Amino acid sequence: MTVGPFLAPHDPEKMVPLMRYKPPSAQFWLGTDQYGRDTLSRLLHGARATVVLAVIATSLGTLAGTLIGTVSAFLGGRGDEAIMRTVDAIMSIPSLLLALLIVNLLGKSSFNALLAIALAFTPGMARVTRSVALAVRKQDYVNAAIARGESAAFVVGREMLPNVVAPIIVEMTIRVAFAVMLFATLSFLGLGAQPPASEWGLMVSEARRFMHLSPWMILWPSLAIALVAIGFNLLGDGLRDALNPRT
Amino acid sequence: MTAPVLDVLNYTLAYAGGAVKALDAVALAIAKGEVLGLVGESGSGKTSLAWAIMRHLPASAREAGEIRLTGRNLLTAAPAEIEAMRGRRIGMVFQDPSTSLNPTLSLGEQLAETLVRHRGLTRAQAWREGEARLARVGLKVSQDMMRRYPHEASGGEKQRVVIATAFACEPELLIFDEPTTALDVITARQILDLFRALQAETGVASLYISHDLALVSQIATRVAVIHRGRIVEHGAIGEVFSCPADAYTQRLLAAVPRPDHRLLASQPAESPRSLVEVDKVSVHYGRKPFLAKLFGRNDTRFTGNRDISLAIRPGEILGVVGESGSGKSTLAKAMTGLNRFDGEIRFDGRRIDGLADMDRAYRRDVQIIFQHPDSSLNPRQRVREILSRPLALYGEPGAKADAGTIDALLEQVRLPADYADRYPHQLSGGEKQRVAIARAFASRPRLVICDEITSALDVSVQAAVIELLVDLQKRFGAAYLFITHDLNLVRQIAHRIAVMYRGDLVDLVDVETLPDSVLHPYTRALLDAVPAPAA
Repeated sequence: MTVGPFLAPHDPEKMVPLMRYKPPSAQFWLGTDQYGRDTLSRLLHGARATVVLAVIATSLGTLAGTLIGTVSAFLGGRGDEAIMRTVDAIMSIPSLLLALLIVNLLGKSSFNALLAIALAFTPGMARVTRSVALAVRKQDYVNAAIARGESAAFVVGREMLPNVVAPIIVEMTIRVAFAVMLFATLSFLGLGAQPPASEWGLMVSEARRFMHLSPWMILWPSLAIALVAIGFNLLGDGLRDALNPRT
Repeated sequence: MTAPVLDVLNYTLAYAGGAVKALDAVALAIAKGEVLGLVGESGSGKTSLAWAIMRHLPASAREAGEIRLTGRNLLTAAPAEIEAMRGRRIGMVFQDPSTSLNPTLSLGEQLAETLVRHRGLTRAQAWREGEARLARVGLKVSQDMMRRYPHEASGGEKQRVVIATAFACEPELLIFDEPTTALDVITARQILDLFRALQAETGVASLYISHDLALVSQIATRVAVIHRGRIVEHGAIGEVFSCPADAYTQRLLAAVPRPDHRLLASQPAESPRSLVEVDKVSVHYGRKPFLAKLFGRNDTRFTGNRDISLAIRPGEILGVVGESGSGKSTLAKAMTGLNRFDGEIRFDGRRIDGLADMDRAYRRDVQIIFQHPDSSLNPRQRVREILSRPLALYGEPGAKADAGTIDALLEQVRLPADYADRYPHQLSGGEKQRVAIARAFASRPRLVICDEITSALDVSVQAAVIELLVDLQKRFGAAYLFITHDLNLVRQIAHRIAVMYRGDLVDLVDVETLPDSVLHPYTRALLDAVPAPAA
């Protein structure tokens, strides 16, 4: 992701009209696309756009969701009810639909797609966080903090948050995989990154029209998306194992 | 002497990867009709031994020695043989009846299943036999009880069903793993009486595992004391308890609370007025349903406390006893502002009507220590940070929570100063509770509420913590509201005792006049049920 652009053998946007629709070869390892651009270079450059944006979007969504969930669990009673029912209402809209709606309202761009994904992830993260935070809320150290008259901000920030982060981080890494796919989907639908960006979803979308000329063009970016999704899922599993057995 | 039913010979158990032996050269024998009490603190290997006899050990277990059931070495027995033996020849009763029964099967089905499996009865026969068995363990409406599900029975009733199941197949050996620890004092007493009657009737060999010396002294014929996987002392009950030979047994016996051995002789200084007065405080759980209020329906909320009134004088230790669910902790939480309450609390003459009246001064003067030190200390904070919070909140302005103050606080509870940089999980249970005590005393409170603070600790650790509390009381003169279910313990340290029962305060008596006072029937029952201290 960070070194990708330096490793790329060609300029990702350099068009070579004579070398269009080439299958993988020694010169172009993964072949070329409809304008004769090197697919490998485009993939390597696109990694930055796709993965970085997905991670940022997920982090934003997680941050917002974690705060909402923890505060909701801390308040309890009617406040909790009000917050969680609102979250439920937002959750009842499928996340892709919600993201589409937001992007359509804000205009097509990578940044707006990022915001849309962050927003789409917030309710889910709030839900997960609340369930963890509710268990923490019952712990006596939270009671002790309340009994000694700590402020609400201190209880949420210093007593509760540090104890909910472990499962949240695990949940987050798994969600990055979803974010990558959601990003690709948005770009595929023409609502995220705009040509000539080398975002993976966009690459799949463009390659779709030329599938009969070169199946490689659509294969490589799809494979990259799948691999990253699986990779983050495995990372999440690994983190869960590493973070949870804490005594 | 007849051949023993169970003969454990030089049995050693270790777990792969673990350096410590869970059990080290254990040798025991139980003859028919005999009850062997196995006493030890948590982590001493009591339960490991029970599972080893049941042949239900994890794959990582490494064993040596022999466990013989009427001469047959179980270590070399085939899995099929073990399966036929479990339940049929060896029965087991677990600590917590609410987790040892399957919540999705009726009590009768669980009992009948055992009979069908091990005694080859048909379903109808097993059901009838089950009813008879339940009647024998003293369950009045046994037909009705057979059809009930575990959540429809009380803890004592459930444990009776488990005992009925264990006795149902007339096994040769029964293992009891702390069968009364999860029960209330009075229920535990009834279960013990039942156990004794059934034991005498069937003459089964029993291994009775417990951490409670007093209890073992009442039911066992012989006793073995286990410490870190080793049997340190083994002999007839009278001998071991009257003249213990091993140093560990002596320590253990000395730590058992005795009501006649007062730790705090002095009465609190006479004071014209009370430090805190609790006046008709009631606590209800749950929200008042909006619709019910609209239609003027009766309040159906659960009542935690009903019109509690009591007063604590400065420097007095008021013990609060009662079974679980009697509202002891509810009262503690109301007094510390964790529960909403109706009624009023007067602290040092100042009226507290609700949470809004609990200002910083009140919170500084009233501190609470919780039951489980594991959950009352934030696992993500170091001891230093935990102790510095009350200093930052209540300390005089400008007084920094520096290392010296933290050291002094740790010193007060007899912990080394370098513990300040540890996390709670690096401390033992007793040390954690000491940190919690240090935190409560950091603000120099005038009232400390101790909510079952020793019930999660072993008896020797409990003795040390109590000694520390008494010492702190002498130094700072704080009043304690000491909540416990252990009547023997509270009679050692309290000046007065309040008895709670189902949310009501039923008795409030002076500890010295307790034996001869006119008491509520519940208090009387409680006093009679408490096992007399060992020896």
